Amino acid sequence: MLIKILGSGCAKCNRLEQLTREAVGELGIDASFEHVKEMDKIMAYPIMTTPALVIDEVVRASGRIPSKDEIAGWLRG
Amino acid sequence: MDIVLSALQSGLASLASYLAAHVLLCLVPAFFIAGALSALVPQQSIIRFLGPDAPKWVSYPAAAGAGSLLAVCSCTIQPLFAGIYKKGAGLGPAITFLFFAPAANILALSYTGVALGAEFAIARIVLALSFGIGIGMIMAIVFRDSEAARLAESATFAAGEGISQRTLVFLGTLVALLIAGTLKVDFLKAELFSGELPWPGAAAGQTLLDRWVPVNEATGAEGLSLQGAALIVLLGLIGAAAWRGLGQVDNGFNRLTPLALGLTALTLVFAALGMRATENGLFLTLTGRTAAVAALCVLLVPLARRFDAWDVQQWLWETWRFVKMIFPLLIVGVFLVGVIRIFIRPEWIQTVAGANTVLANLAGVVFGVFMYFPTLVEVPIAKMFLSLGMHPGPLIAYLMADPELSLQSILITAAIIGKLKAWTYVGLVALFSTLAGLTYGAWVDGAPLLVLGAAVLGFVTLLVTSLHLIERTRRARA
Repeated sequence: MLIKILGSGCAKCNRLEQLTREAVGELGIDASFEHVKEMDKIMAYPIMTTPALVIDEVVRASGRIPSKDEIAGWLRG
Repeated sequence: MDIVLSALQSGLASLASYLAAHVLLCLVPAFFIAGALSALVPQQSIIRFLGPDAPKWVSYPAAAGAGSLLAVCSCTIQPLFAGIYKKGAGLGPAITFLFFAPAANILALSYTGVALGAEFAIARIVLALSFGIGIGMIMAIVFRDSEAARLAESATFAAGEGISQRTLVFLGTLVALLIAGTLKVDFLKAELFSGELPWPGAAAGQTLLDRWVPVNEATGAEGLSLQGAALIVLLGLIGAAAWRGLGQVDNGFNRLTPLALGLTALTLVFAALGMRATENGLFLTLTGRTAAVAALCVLLVPLARRFDAWDVQQWLWETWRFVKMIFPLLIVGVFLVGVIRIFIRPEWIQTVAGANTVLANLAGVVFGVFMYFPTLVEVPIAKMFLSLGMHPGPLIAYLMADPELSLQSILITAAIIGKLKAWTYVGLVALFSTLAGLTYGAWVDGAPLLVLGAAVLGFVTLLVTSLHLIERTRRARA
């Protein structure tokens, strides 16, 4: 599973990555992380606001930090 | 040696009077509002008005709204700017957004209002709004040919959820709390109850404070009252409790969370209390303001309970993040302003910017462009200039130029829209800030508001009409 965090490296983006990593760890899923910081690459996704969470190239959330339960729900797919 | 000591003392005095008098009443609620805007308002609720198909009269005001409601954080400014420019309404609204955001977010406005006076805050928002839209439209006209190259992508702007009613009520209550704590109107000042609390140490304590932080009307040093000292202690306590209580609230509420919030409410109510030291005790006055602030703090509890726990946690976490990001810089800034102040002679300022001339306004702009101060520090600096005799016109010119044109914002703009456009933008902001200063200065000097308002309005109307005509001819050709 490929998980991308889109964001300029701000506090919210780091918090989102941390939460997602925790959720991944608790579920025992095998996933690789990528923190996308280049504005051009971020803008290639249909989003206007960061931080955004992209799981297997599907934008799950943008402009907010979802709760860990919500993230876990997407991870279970 | 004397000069160093008096410089340090001046710095501390400025810090003390800011912490005790100005910062508390307006910035504490303002931080909570900023946190709520960031955590509770769905960004889609405004972004949906910024799509590529949105008409001008929707997209420009919406861009300004996004600037003041969503962009309290630099996290949001850059992607939103790039998004509006590349996928949505285009260069014009993107520029309006970029211009309006630093001048009109809730923190900057409330701080300006309390430190410099409500008329400066109103001037800042009105001038930033009209000139922000004006600059956006000029940029759209000048660079109209490169506009077509953008990739329009309507899906990003699909209507999402709006702002829910409970969020609006909650935000409204927070704003009411901010206003109740700061506004100078009669019914808030009305005395409800007063009495003397016997405490023999009061007079001695006040004398001690007066010696540490001397009142000096010539330099604008306001001294420190007993109440002010108590407020500084309370602020320290809030900070200690909030470090874990709010800083780690996203892992769940902990025991320090209610303590930090309770202390905050206590501080706000205490600050709204009238208090002065007399010979044999403390004379306390309970005003309409005290009652209003207390009632609103209580009212916030049931209103907050209507949200999910996660939302409330996000709100508090965001609030604390803003405090951590801005407050330390502000403290250092205010201290340094106090230190620098005693080295600047009022005559210098009065010679350069004592009257509302084109040159004086330009001087304000140039100072704003070349000096980079972190968020909100421009306000104590402006206050220093004001007390040294700067004319309000050049002061507004400086206040417009400083936050808009920092090296950082120029670099971000250049990276996203290209160097030519970015430098055109810089030139326009400099020009418009000068105009803004001249307009406001003329109003202060007694020019009728109607004439000035008509001039500003006419100018913007001219831009709108020409943009509209240009677009129509282009469509007709295509």
